[in-house]
Amino acid sequence: MKWRKRTEGLFLVPSILFLMIFGLGMLMAFMESLMDDGTATMGYYMELFRKERFMRSVLYSVWITAVSTVLSLVIGLLFVRVFKEKLKGGTGRLLVWIPMLFPHFVWAYLVFLLLNQSGFLSNLLGVSGLMAERTDFPVLVQDPGGIGIIVTYVWKEVPFVILMLLPVYASLSKGYREAATLLGANPVRMFTTAEWPFIKPALIETGAILFAFIFTAFEVPQLLGVTSPQMIAVLTYEWFYSGAWTDRPFAFAALLLAGALSG
Amino acid sequence: MKQIGFYSATLLFFLFPVCFFIYKSFFGIWRWGEAFPVDPDARAWKVIAGEGELLSAVVVSVGIAVMVLILNLLIGLTAGKAFALHRFRGKVILESMLMMPLFLPALVVAAGLQLVFIRLGLADTWLGVAVVHLIPTVPYSIKLFKSAYEGIGTELIEQSMLLGGGAMDRFRHIELPQLIPAMNSVLFLTVVISLGQYVLTAIIGGGSVVTLAMIYYPFTRTADESVMSAFSLMFMMIPLITYLISVMVLKLFIPYRPSKKRRGNETPWN
Repeated sequence: MKWRKRTEGLFLVPSILFLMIFGLGMLMAFMESLMDDGTATMGYYMELFRKERFMRSVLYSVWITAVSTVLSLVIGLLFVRVFKEKLKGGTGRLLVWIPMLFPHFVWAYLVFLLLNQSGFLSNLLGVSGLMAERTDFPVLVQDPGGIGIIVTYVWKEVPFVILMLLPVYASLSKGYREAATLLGANPVRMFTTAEWPFIKPALIETGAILFAFIFTAFEVPQLLGVTSPQMIAVLTYEWFYSGAWTDRPFAFAALLLAGALSG
Repeated sequence: MKQIGFYSATLLFFLFPVCFFIYKSFFGIWRWGEAFPVDPDARAWKVIAGEGELLSAVVVSVGIAVMVLILNLLIGLTAGKAFALHRFRGKVILESMLMMPLFLPALVVAAGLQLVFIRLGLADTWLGVAVVHLIPTVPYSIKLFKSAYEGIGTELIEQSMLLGGGAMDRFRHIELPQLIPAMNSVLFLTVVISLGQYVLTAIIGGGSVVTLAMIYYPFTRTADESVMSAFSLMFMMIPLITYLISVMVLKLFIPYRPSKKRRGNETPWN
């Protein structure tokens, strides 16, 4: 349909207002990252690259984010492929929704309760006699390697990946698969020719959303991370609100750089 | 075989967490090396029910979540309809710009908006917090409504125009009944995402808008595990209760049953 009446253009007003609020936030942040005593400067950005704490934080965040994103995508994709009939509706579909109902920080707390050294899993192993001391249990949360953070994200994002991929699999034509089978394709060829081209856009989009979200999210690493190395959001939040006022431009610059990196 | 695999995976990874929180809320702390606790105790739930600060936080959180939901319905419905059914210049660009909030750090937008909101008097208010919660929710709502309107298509709408139906009637009888699945998804997503925002709420709310997330967060290190587990379950109960209420509200507005079987004599033109 074309616009029939001029008034129908009004349908775009709410979303454009929303976009203006979003743009205003970005613009203010950008201006703050440039301002130094009333003059515009790129100095904060240049100095950031010389700050070792920031560079370590970036590398650490990239690592955690990449591992979490790739694992979530792979596990989610395998799950949908294997169980797609079960996920069409009813109980199966409802079960996948459960983790979506909780905020990330609740999931982080769950992982903490299950995996800390005197947590549920360690306790189970202790009571069943498989482990003598609770210190025998590996440090899996609030660990420098970020294992607890990765476990939380993968566990929480796999259902998201499943729900993003399901519509694609539901609309995937059986015809291509049948044609591929008739032409004698092996399972690998079948996947690469009759499935991959169709799921690739959804997979890339989901991966990009996850990467951008995990890279700069605050809640989970704040609960399950350590003081050093820190993920970017935790470091910048500190610069914003508990550090000196002069740290604020760094925080804006750091987050904008992070955004440019993930975007 | 596949059946067993599916249910053991989903029960272990998706249902077990809820059961674990329920168990933990009744059985409290299990000291390392001691036997499995067996006496249930409703203490944690009594603490939750008696905590005034918590109850007022529920009110604040639900109030903000409802504002976020209404704004999302407004923005999502209008934009989704325009993107699905109309052609206009700059559509592709506008559409991709509206997805940007998913790919840029919300923390930096919130910190930037804080400076504006202070001047506008929106900082430290429910409305200000609700507006900033739009950033992680609106892109999803637009996507969901767009695909719902693509499913509806233009035929029925054009037919009703030819027959002289007004815009409101058309919305109520043709669009709304077919939008229910999308509206349910939007409801769940926006309420859950809004309840789960700690850092955005902290920045714009400035500590004076106390939502559940604002209380949960500092407590994770201090309060006892039993109370925290009961608290964790509240985050799941709120979207479910909101959903049930909205189903009832929608029933008042929609002249059709959600069931696929049409009951002829219940339609308004009979």
